[in-house]
Amino acid sequence: MSKEVELDCLGEACPVPLIKAEKALEGMDVGDVLICQIDHSCAMKNVPEWAREQGHNVEVEEVDDGEWEVIIEKVK
Amino acid sequence: MREKKRERYDVVIIGGGAAGLTAAIYCGRARLNTLLIEKGLVGGLATYTNEIENFPGFPEGTTGLGLMEKFHAQAKKFGVKFKGTDVKEVNFENEWKEVHTFRNIFESRAVIIASGGRPRTTGAINEKDYLFDKGISFCATCDAAANEGKTVMIIGSGDAAIEEGMFLTKFASEVIISVIHDEGKMDCNEIAKEQAINNPKMSFAWNTMVNSFKGDGHLDTVELKNLKTGELKDYKVDTCFEFIGYIPNTEIFKDKVKLNRQGYVPTNELMETGVPGIFAAGDVRDKELKQVATAVGDGAISGVGAEKYIADCDVFEQQIMQADKPGFIYVYSAIDDPSRVLLPMMSEIEKSYGGKVKLSVIDLYKGRRLCDRLACDVEPMTIFYTLNGELAATEIDCDRPHIEERLNKLLAKG
Repeated sequence: MSKEVELDCLGEACPVPLIKAEKALEGMDVGDVLICQIDHSCAMKNVPEWAREQGHNVEVEEVDDGEWEVIIEKVK
Repeated sequence: MREKKRERYDVVIIGGGAAGLTAAIYCGRARLNTLLIEKGLVGGLATYTNEIENFPGFPEGTTGLGLMEKFHAQAKKFGVKFKGTDVKEVNFENEWKEVHTFRNIFESRAVIIASGGRPRTTGAINEKDYLFDKGISFCATCDAAANEGKTVMIIGSGDAAIEEGMFLTKFASEVIISVIHDEGKMDCNEIAKEQAINNPKMSFAWNTMVNSFKGDGHLDTVELKNLKTGELKDYKVDTCFEFIGYIPNTEIFKDKVKLNRQGYVPTNELMETGVPGIFAAGDVRDKELKQVATAVGDGAISGVGAEKYIADCDVFEQQIMQADKPGFIYVYSAIDDPSRVLLPMMSEIEKSYGGKVKLSVIDLYKGRRLCDRLACDVEPMTIFYTLNGELAATEIDCDRPHIEERLNKLLAKG
């Protein structure tokens, strides 16, 4: 059964969210979903860009003004 | 695999460039429950352009990103919802169309395809470092003026390459064209070729392809490789324009809507694709001029088209194909006298049944869409009869006794 993991990156600036996301995804299985909560616009760009380049499924959702969830499904 | 969550909207717009955002503004303002899905940065290809000087309303110019942020804010103001993800698959076969992402299946009555396209690139070394505002351009209309008195290179020899190159000679002092073919052979039409060869500002590098792009932050050198001799040669340029084709983002729409040979979506002037409820707008459409200004026009038309389509759906389901009682639908045209004068008689017939039957009327002058759902090539003075929400008969006999006989039969059945 695939699981969902939330990763709190609120208040953290680049490149911290990206590094945290990389680490978190490493320990997960294919099919698992990582939800990164971020509020730095730079991370809103580089986290999804990195995840897409890795070939994962990505969705960015603006949950509040200036606050996003980057949802990453590990595909390999 | 986890189950995808289903959500329903009135309209789903695929693509958040100038066309999609404009469609969203129109749909949102018409109070439609609207979802826009964009896989990258909201704003689309326009956000790669540093200066937009030809979008009306900005005499001092604007940046692509700045302009698109305004479009985005305006769509949000009207309550449009945004999702930042890829569309994986679509299904347009049923009345509720489906748009699949990796987590959701979005259902809607209308879909606007505004997925745009992307310029084809050479794939040469370091190309990625200089794309768009860093020295490699795909749009002479956009970047010609910034190259006044400068040296530029063009990659490609098709009609677009040569025509844009001719345009660039009005600004640049030298235009070097890299052509993959032997000397004298070009992909453009003969007239353009002759004009190009005779243009004193144009020079040609035959049998060449780009090997690499160089420069410190901004492009300053293009290294061409001679395909016959293998020789590498550096050319100092200020901007390199690549005109080797444009690829519409329509891979997921293959076999779902009609595509032309190049993969673009052909539409009529109402942005309709031929599949009811599916519209296309912007660069993804088979059209002549790809600019923010034309995308905005497409977006507005498709947004209003989607709104009308949904309104028609409601009228059709709730009034015309109502299932409460036997119905008769009279088709007339406001500009056709013989059909119009029968309207009062139709109302009288409905009244005489004391609420047991329901009359609907369709004015063909207002549009054929509603009629097209019932039958093709309907003329004024046609009557459709319905029972239990389904079409029971189509007739052109408008005599009162005949209509009453028909209705009596339907009442007996119901």
